Amino acid sequence: MSPPLLAAEDLSKSFGVTRALNGASLRVSPGEVLALTGPSGSGKSTLLHCLSGILAPDSGRVRYDGRELTTLTDRERSALRRREFGFVFQFGQLVPELTCQENVELPLRLSGVRRAGARGPAAELLARLGVSEVAGKRPGQVSGGQGQRVAVARALVTGPRVIFADEPTGALDSRNGEQVMGLLVAAARERGSAVVLVTHETRIAAFADREAVFRDGAAVERQGAR
Amino acid sequence: MSAAGDLALGVRLSVAGGRSGWLRLTLIAAGVGFGVAMLLLMAAAPTASTNRQQRLADRAMGVTAERAGPGTLLALTTQTRFRDEAVRGRILRPEGDRAPVPPGVDRVPAAGEMVVSPALAALINGPGGAVLGDRWSARVVGVIGPRGLSGPDEVYFYVGSGTLTRDDGAARITSFGGGAAPVTDPAIVVLVVIGSVIMVLPVLVFVTTAVRFGSESRERQLAAVRLVGADAAMTRRIAAGDTLIGAVLGLGAGGLGFLGLRRVVGGLLPVDFSPYPSDLRPVPILLLLIVVLVPVGAVLVTLAALRRVVIEPLGVVRQSGARRRRIWWRLIPPAVGAALLYPLLDDPAGSEAQLAAGVVLLLIGVVVLLPWLVQAVVRGLGGGSVAWQLGIRRLQLDSDTAVRSVSGIAVSVAGIIAIQGILAASVAANNGVQPPDDRFQAVVYTNGADGTGWEAALVGTPGVRQVRTSGYAELRQDGDDQAGVTVRVGDCDTLRQYAPLPSCTDGDSFAGTMSGWYQTTVLPPGASVGVYGTDEKKPLSRWEVAAGLPVVEQYTSDAGPVAFLATPSALGIRGGLPVDAYLLRLDPADPDAIEHVRNTMIRLDPAAPLQLFGDDRVGNQFAGARQVAQACAVLLLLFIGASMLVNVTEQLRERRRLLAVLAAFGTPRRTLSAAVLYQVAVPATVGLLLSVIVGSSLSAVLLAATHGPVDLDWPVIAGITAAVAAMVVAVTAGSLPLLFRLLRTQELRSE
Repeated sequence: MSPPLLAAEDLSKSFGVTRALNGASLRVSPGEVLALTGPSGSGKSTLLHCLSGILAPDSGRVRYDGRELTTLTDRERSALRRREFGFVFQFGQLVPELTCQENVELPLRLSGVRRAGARGPAAELLARLGVSEVAGKRPGQVSGGQGQRVAVARALVTGPRVIFADEPTGALDSRNGEQVMGLLVAAARERGSAVVLVTHETRIAAFADREAVFRDGAAVERQGAR
Repeated sequence: MSAAGDLALGVRLSVAGGRSGWLRLTLIAAGVGFGVAMLLLMAAAPTASTNRQQRLADRAMGVTAERAGPGTLLALTTQTRFRDEAVRGRILRPEGDRAPVPPGVDRVPAAGEMVVSPALAALINGPGGAVLGDRWSARVVGVIGPRGLSGPDEVYFYVGSGTLTRDDGAARITSFGGGAAPVTDPAIVVLVVIGSVIMVLPVLVFVTTAVRFGSESRERQLAAVRLVGADAAMTRRIAAGDTLIGAVLGLGAGGLGFLGLRRVVGGLLPVDFSPYPSDLRPVPILLLLIVVLVPVGAVLVTLAALRRVVIEPLGVVRQSGARRRRIWWRLIPPAVGAALLYPLLDDPAGSEAQLAAGVVLLLIGVVVLLPWLVQAVVRGLGGGSVAWQLGIRRLQLDSDTAVRSVSGIAVSVAGIIAIQGILAASVAANNGVQPPDDRFQAVVYTNGADGTGWEAALVGTPGVRQVRTSGYAELRQDGDDQAGVTVRVGDCDTLRQYAPLPSCTDGDSFAGTMSGWYQTTVLPPGASVGVYGTDEKKPLSRWEVAAGLPVVEQYTSDAGPVAFLATPSALGIRGGLPVDAYLLRLDPADPDAIEHVRNTMIRLDPAAPLQLFGDDRVGNQFAGARQVAQACAVLLLLFIGASMLVNVTEQLRERRRLLAVLAAFGTPRRTLSAAVLYQVAVPATVGLLLSVIVGSSLSAVLLAATHGPVDLDWPVIAGITAAVAAMVVAVTAGSLPLLFRLLRTQELRSE
């Protein structure tokens, strides 16, 4: 068994009196697509945030590629997220002032790539995801499905080793949701990126290699999804 | 539901919003209340001024009489100074038992008694005040009431005399007052109009900002109401009701704030402007306008804001994409303003209303032009760093919010630059050449009085080290020529007290000028004139104006310039020249030396002018006004900065989820901070540029209209630019704690 790319060990996290994670442990292998499923409030999103270094757990450890995330400073974790991770959220959350093309260029530019250098990869990904025609439009001028594909392109553009997707199809109808999910997983596999997917939809979880079901802040069951 | 029912529902939703609802309502009421309090103070300014002028008119000397009688009073107006305070008052001597009593006192003080204003009493009883108390050799027997004073801080007195006569210059009167209140100087009216506009507009901007506090939570509330069946029109009425309650509470808070402020505002103003609290009563029509227009305006602002928001049952959608602004109608106010001002460049006489209207229209032009200008500028910007891109694109999408605050800056700065320009020119006009440090410190003029014994009295005054006399004569072409030209006569050392002389030996003479004064009567070279002293029929000598006389600029003086300065032998005078000025060198170690001189002069002749060199009152007044204008500028910038901060924080709250996403994929804080800075700085810079151009043009027009030298006050412009830059940085810094808080990931949670 190859060493995990990302691993959570016995994570606990509370928000006030609400315990969101309660000894959660998980492993993600390179290139693996893992679905975190479970009822609302079971701690899926909190675990995703801890895994990606957005949140620091109250106790437990998160290891990424041999490094202990919980010991990194906020600045170091931000740099790590820029370089190694990609994110897709439920409503896309594209920057409304920027065009779709510029939204996809944004992570590259934040990593220091000049605008001219960011243009090509962004355009290529938009084409790959079938939304070239909206490149010059602002997010408010495109449909939900198109916007979510742009968000997927933005998550992929830096060639991340892990993509974190939190309910990426939650705001889409089933047809659009499945299309977006298919594109996300296919593009991730092409690039060898692992995907950590939070969803409560079984048909979306079915795109994953593996599924971890959450209940009361801990993964209680693991099974092959495909 | 009826329209009234919708409004009532809005009110209910507003007050039933729990702790956060009350917090929002409190913020709106406090913001609107602060603005309303300011507006009420401004609305009360005309009443305060009228009351003040009326009291001054009521205590002016009334009907005069030729003969003494039971109802006559001899009164001599006099003025002295104590340190930096002007001390004004009257010497009174009743000639009968029915002599008129001045307002604010019960009876005319008897000889050896005086009544004083509370401010003068405080000076006399304060540290070092004994020397002032000695000035009149009179016992303080009472205090002048408010009816007899222009304001609570006026330093004023009435002193009784047993020896005052008409020969001392006293007037014989049978009453006080009865005349009309003095007409305000039209130039002051213009300054007040500009001042009002630059004060009112930022306050209005602040009020429109305040009613939008927490608009995001209100919009969420409205979406919930939509979900249970309200249509779009009902939603707007509910929003209007919600705003209305905040505005009405704000009116109440503003009223209370005004009542509190009017007790303290007097102490914040210069003595010559400070009102009694009871003077501060808003003009009824202005009060009505505030009471009606603030709630109505608040509702209109809310409805206008909702035009760009679509409130749906499942949430709120903001319409993106800026509509292109049209410029044609925006050019109308400044064009009309310029058209009104342009003719004044050539002929400014009697056109104060036109001037004021032109100024106001030009300043309004700044407000209406700015949104177009900001949009045009940001449309042309692009490229740059990620932070620049985020900031500029935000402005390209929606510059309305930023412009709302910046328009406050623009109009205020334009007005301040204009006012500062006028004041700077006035100060410059009153500052001429600077006298040397070893100049005598003071001069007493006889002003036509017999100065016998003055020199000895002054020499014997504590703190006086040296007294030097100087003479004065009139040059006339013949004995009947009344338009005399003045000449200051003295030896070279004495003449150097009046002007810097290039070189001087006995027999020299000079032509004189003075900065800020026009020399209307000059004698051509070769003119032969008689030199007249006190005897208007017999000249002391005759003098021929030499060609090529050196021209010297005299030190600025309230007494104004003389046409010539000459040594006695230059004029051929051999004695008999009347002394009219006693120049005094004071002991620098005695800080009260000048006060002792004033005491001496009160005894010798209370009406004799005493001028302290370096105490250039006109210049000081303008310099004081400049300081007030600068202080107002700082206050305005604070006000505007608060508006901008509110707007920026509102924008950040609206974008909390997006900010959290940007943080999630590793956007550095400094990038987002810089984006906020650009969002604030770019419109502020455009506004500043527009205001500098308009303000400088306005200043140039006003200076030309007042025949002043057209010279822009670059230090002031640089100072205001620096202040605006500091404000931009402060607003950005003030918004950072919230920005960093919003970068936390709770906003990412979708469940």
